[in-house]
Amino acid sequence: MSLDLTFIGQIVVFLTLVFLMRKYLYGPMAELMEARSNKIAEGLAAADAGKEAFAKAQAEIAEQLNEARAKAVEIIAAAEKRAAELGEESVTRARTEAEAIIDSAREEVGAELNRARQTLRAEVADIAMLAAEQVVEAELDASRHTKLIEGIVNKGFGNA
Amino acid sequence: MKKSLRETGLAETSHGEGGIAGHLQYWTLKIDESNPFMQIHLDTMLVSIIVAAGLFIFALWLKNRLVEGVPTGAQNFMESVVGFIDQTVKDNFPVHNPLIAPLAFTVFVFIALVNTIDILPAFLLGNVAHLFGVEHFRPVPTNDLNLPAAMAVSVFVLVLYYEFKLKPVHFMKELVMEPFTSLVPIYLKPFVMPINLILKVVEEVAKPLSLSFRLFGNMFAGEVIFLLIAFLLLGGGAVGMAAGFFVGLAWTAFHLFIGLLQAFIFMILTVVYLSIAHQPVEH
Repeated sequence: MSLDLTFIGQIVVFLTLVFLMRKYLYGPMAELMEARSNKIAEGLAAADAGKEAFAKAQAEIAEQLNEARAKAVEIIAAAEKRAAELGEESVTRARTEAEAIIDSAREEVGAELNRARQTLRAEVADIAMLAAEQVVEAELDASRHTKLIEGIVNKGFGNA
Repeated sequence: MKKSLRETGLAETSHGEGGIAGHLQYWTLKIDESNPFMQIHLDTMLVSIIVAAGLFIFALWLKNRLVEGVPTGAQNFMESVVGFIDQTVKDNFPVHNPLIAPLAFTVFVFIALVNTIDILPAFLLGNVAHLFGVEHFRPVPTNDLNLPAAMAVSVFVLVLYYEFKLKPVHFMKELVMEPFTSLVPIYLKPFVMPINLILKVVEEVAKPLSLSFRLFGNMFAGEVIFLLIAFLLLGGGAVGMAAGFFVGLAWTAFHLFIGLLQAFIFMILTVVYLSIAHQPVEH
């Protein structure tokens, strides 16, 4: 139970062992364990980030869906409004066209009436001339009498 | 210890050459007969070098098999040891020093392994050595004060190194100014300084002394008890043999626990002493 050279030898053995353990056992193992825990931490962080991104994407989807729904409602409302406008427009246009047609028809009828009146007048004058010729059977100055008869006819048709 | 055992007469009445005392002799190579320091315990050196080499070979073997994924077998076991030491060091240290954890790891693993040799049957390695013509053989290096002292002194030197490196002024001041200087008037301060120094030196030297003697004492006592069980019971016929077997078995289990406990205590005190040296100076 005394110290001797073994003491020096043991110091050498111990310090050598510390050096060797540090280099070949503890060092590599501590490094490995740290790398592993870093990797696990990174994995957990990535998982968290993924979850967050997923939640964000879901929120975005919901928002976009709402937006789309609102837009659809808007579009439908606009389309309905436009349809109503178009209907009204066509009704108005049809009414205007109908009125125009009626007007032109009326004008045409008026013109036709005038034309018929003119024709009738001329024919009646001719018939009257013929009738006068046959009635009086006299030589009459056609032109003087024509004037006279036309005057009578005109008088006669003046109330027509 | 050897002398006292001889004086009790126990050793002489027991079996074997030299009795218990004979089993407590080292395999010694004397370089200078007149100087007791100039000798070397070949058994201590041999066993500690074999254990150290075994650890080194294990380290090389394990290093090539380390996987970053799920650890299994030896790697898993060593990782739990490394994790435990790492946590102990982190809990105690205010700063990071890359040397401390490997040092604590080596202290723990080496002492635990060497102590565990003690649970081998008491005479086994001795008898193996006898086959090779070696008269005395002590199988457990921690039973030789040289090993605990070597480790304790190494740790102590490291503590002093860090004390001087990290806070030289504070440490020197502490050596001469604590604990009495602040208690005396200023003209008495120079007189109490030597007393302070002596007290502080005693306090510091007590660290490696207690560290080494604690381990040595526990392991040495354990071995002596193994020898006592062997000598007192195993020689006493069939009943003695049976009793000796069971008592020996019980003591083996207990001693295994003590061996691990001592390794842990040595390791934790190493960390604590070094941690004190690393504590920042309080103003």
